[in-house]
Amino acid sequence: MSWGYLLRRLAQLVPTSALILLVGFALIHLAPGDPVLALAGEHGDAEYYAFMRAKFGLDQPLHEQLFTFVANLAHGDLGTSYVQGRPASQIILERLPATLLLTATALTIASILGLGFGIFTATRRRAWQDTTATTVLLATYAAPVFLIGQALILLFALGAGWFPVQGMTSAVTPSNGFSHAVDVAHHLVLPALVLAAPEVAVIGRLTRVGLLQELGSDHVRTARAKGSPPPMVVGKHALRGAVMPVVTVIGNRVAHLASGAVVVEVVFGWPGMGRLLVDALRDQDSPIILGIFLLVSLTVMTANLITDLIYVWLDPRVLFS
Amino acid sequence: MLRRGSALVVSAVLLVSCSTTEGTPEPAADSPVRGGTLVAAITADPGQLNPAITTSGDVHTASELMYNGLVSLTPDREPVGELAESWDVEDNGALYRFHLREGVTWHDGEPFTSADVKFSFEKVLLKYHSRTAASVGQALESISTPDERTVEFRFKEPYAPFPLQLDVTEAPIIPEHIYAGTDPLENPANLEPVGTGPFAFESYKPGAEIRLVRNPDYFIDGQPLLDEVVLRVIPDAESQVIALEAGEVDWLFGVPGADLARLEEDGGFEFLRTTVNPGGSNCIMTVSFNLEKPVFQDVRTRRAVATAIDSQQFVDRVLFGQGKVAEAPISSGIDFAHADDLPDMPTYDKQTAEDLLDEAGWIRQGDGTRVAQGVQGIPDGTPLSFGFTLFTSFDAYGDLFKAQLADVGIDVELDPQEPDIFAETVFVDRDFDSNIISYCNGADPEIGVKRMYVSSTIGPVPFSNAAAYSNPSVDSLFDQARTTVDPGERGEVYRQIQEILVEDLPYFWVVETEATRVYSSRCGGFSQAGHFAEAAYCRQ
Repeated sequence: MSWGYLLRRLAQLVPTSALILLVGFALIHLAPGDPVLALAGEHGDAEYYAFMRAKFGLDQPLHEQLFTFVANLAHGDLGTSYVQGRPASQIILERLPATLLLTATALTIASILGLGFGIFTATRRRAWQDTTATTVLLATYAAPVFLIGQALILLFALGAGWFPVQGMTSAVTPSNGFSHAVDVAHHLVLPALVLAAPEVAVIGRLTRVGLLQELGSDHVRTARAKGSPPPMVVGKHALRGAVMPVVTVIGNRVAHLASGAVVVEVVFGWPGMGRLLVDALRDQDSPIILGIFLLVSLTVMTANLITDLIYVWLDPRVLFS
Repeated sequence: MLRRGSALVVSAVLLVSCSTTEGTPEPAADSPVRGGTLVAAITADPGQLNPAITTSGDVHTASELMYNGLVSLTPDREPVGELAESWDVEDNGALYRFHLREGVTWHDGEPFTSADVKFSFEKVLLKYHSRTAASVGQALESISTPDERTVEFRFKEPYAPFPLQLDVTEAPIIPEHIYAGTDPLENPANLEPVGTGPFAFESYKPGAEIRLVRNPDYFIDGQPLLDEVVLRVIPDAESQVIALEAGEVDWLFGVPGADLARLEEDGGFEFLRTTVNPGGSNCIMTVSFNLEKPVFQDVRTRRAVATAIDSQQFVDRVLFGQGKVAEAPISSGIDFAHADDLPDMPTYDKQTAEDLLDEAGWIRQGDGTRVAQGVQGIPDGTPLSFGFTLFTSFDAYGDLFKAQLADVGIDVELDPQEPDIFAETVFVDRDFDSNIISYCNGADPEIGVKRMYVSSTIGPVPFSNAAAYSNPSVDSLFDQARTTVDPGERGEVYRQIQEILVEDLPYFWVVETEATRVYSSRCGGFSQAGHFAEAAYCRQ
């Protein structure tokens, strides 16, 4: 791998993002509906609607609106939210940390539990533990996120009372410093688990398949024949080869996590970007919608790039030119 | 001349805290206590907290506790002084002179004056608050401030509804010293509001919560009682109910009908029924007939549809009891204008519906459907079938409507749409046969009733005259009602309007909807709208 490769990959992000923004802009502005309606409610008169359209430049021809949008974007300005009257970038950045915390935690949980389940089931192939774990994993994969969410809330929050039902912090006793971190972590457990659940299934299944294949391969047989203890055989010799496809999947699941976060944030009242997107779509607040499109697509593209780089590290035979 | 003083406000508050009738605050299990925190669930992040620049229910729910109007409305929708202590009406209703309360300060300590009122109307409300801009804005001539405590509104001609359009929902007053010379849509104070209301701004975490603290200088002695109100954003209705049951929140603005019965059985909660919401009050679920379509040209067909609808079933099966059968075109919540006992108001009668359809030329076939036979504008043999456009969230109304009309041989095709697409289909493209809309009447027919019926509102404006109904006598009666100041005389004009409407039937008024506030039994002292927690308390 060379620096040239890295630079080329980074440069590719620019036209891809531009295309995504263009398609997003066209989709939002050509779709039926009117952002002014969301602002005005149902009681405005014709004069009021005309005034508000003019104020936000929505009375301009579409190509001029696009031109304004691109010109502003070139200055790093996503535009002003119609509903909130302040820069869309500021609004999105406010909500980003909550979503990052949620998705990063979920991805970590999913990777650890997924690998764990994969190793557990692959080393107990066709035993009852394998069958049970595989069934549970498939069930969590098949169940809709909101269903798992509501079930966990009923069981562990409302039922057992171990976790709060919703929100990111306690409403009644605001906390600072360490106690604040504990409070947030306490609120984070259920939503992160729910968001991780389908990913655990995907990663677990893939690890199992990959590991089974590796365990039957020549180099693993050789390692066994040399007398390596079983944990060493699995951990050192088989796993490295088995996780290759898993890494790809973890990278690709970033996009799924981003979409899953929208539902989880709604169910748990988690104040993240996913919910901001839902509200912005309802209000047709295009500066915010486009800003989130841009951010999510950049994240997914970066995740793919990082995945490719990890490939090289895991398997030096993979060379990019 | 009208004069209402602070004594009236105090007595209204006392009345409110003692009353036990439906729709007024619940009695306390214990006597009110001072201090404590109320956690209320709100459905959506408001985005900003200035109620003067929008009619958005989300913004108003989250911000009204921090602001005041010139008046507030009693549970019976009577105006009593709030920032105004009293007012005079002169020139037969063309001049309103308000005497402002002494000693009111903004949350930042600046004094509140008549200049704030003039500024709020001229620079903000009449531009950005769509309801007030569309009604008051059209009628107003000028605003003057003879002194710091007096503000005069002069109208082009007598304007009767004005006092009902001055509460914190219709006309919140914002500080001139903070907003002057800025774009009110982009002023940073929209995120850190400065008001005169019972609670002052403490913090806003977008998407999470808004914290308000007690305003120690509030102009009503002894209020508010709570130290703190926390408005938590919980978008999912089911999650709100669970949070209430888990004790994480104390107050819900509404609850799904199916959960209501369970909460009532479980105990530990109090309920407050109301037709008032910050986003719109006195709402009637109304079927519009597109009068431009041949199928609805004949009033007998419209009357047949209306008499085939069993409204009580909508109350029982769609609203789970949270509402009542509509008895007139104007909501029973607007007492002076609502007409009882309209002889022509359709009520459910299957046989009459069948007879009317036969008379109109829609003849039953062997398979139960009906086809045209001599219906004007429709070729013979055309089956009686029309579309019914509705919000996706109103699907339960659609299913019941379809089932009830199938009973008399009418085929209904449901066409569910998202709200903004609905608005475009119905009001801009006019590409629909019939629809159902929640028309919120507001505190005065001038706000939310007139727009449905006058011929000047046929056109591209959302949620106006969906039926495209035009009747010159109705137009002139609405003009007359606007300029008739005496409530009794005004009510008589509205009665005449409603008599014509139930005869012409451009719409059919199905049910008046209510919301049910639910709150923890350890709290009490709530009121219906606006400053719902002004006199509330929670035992910790």
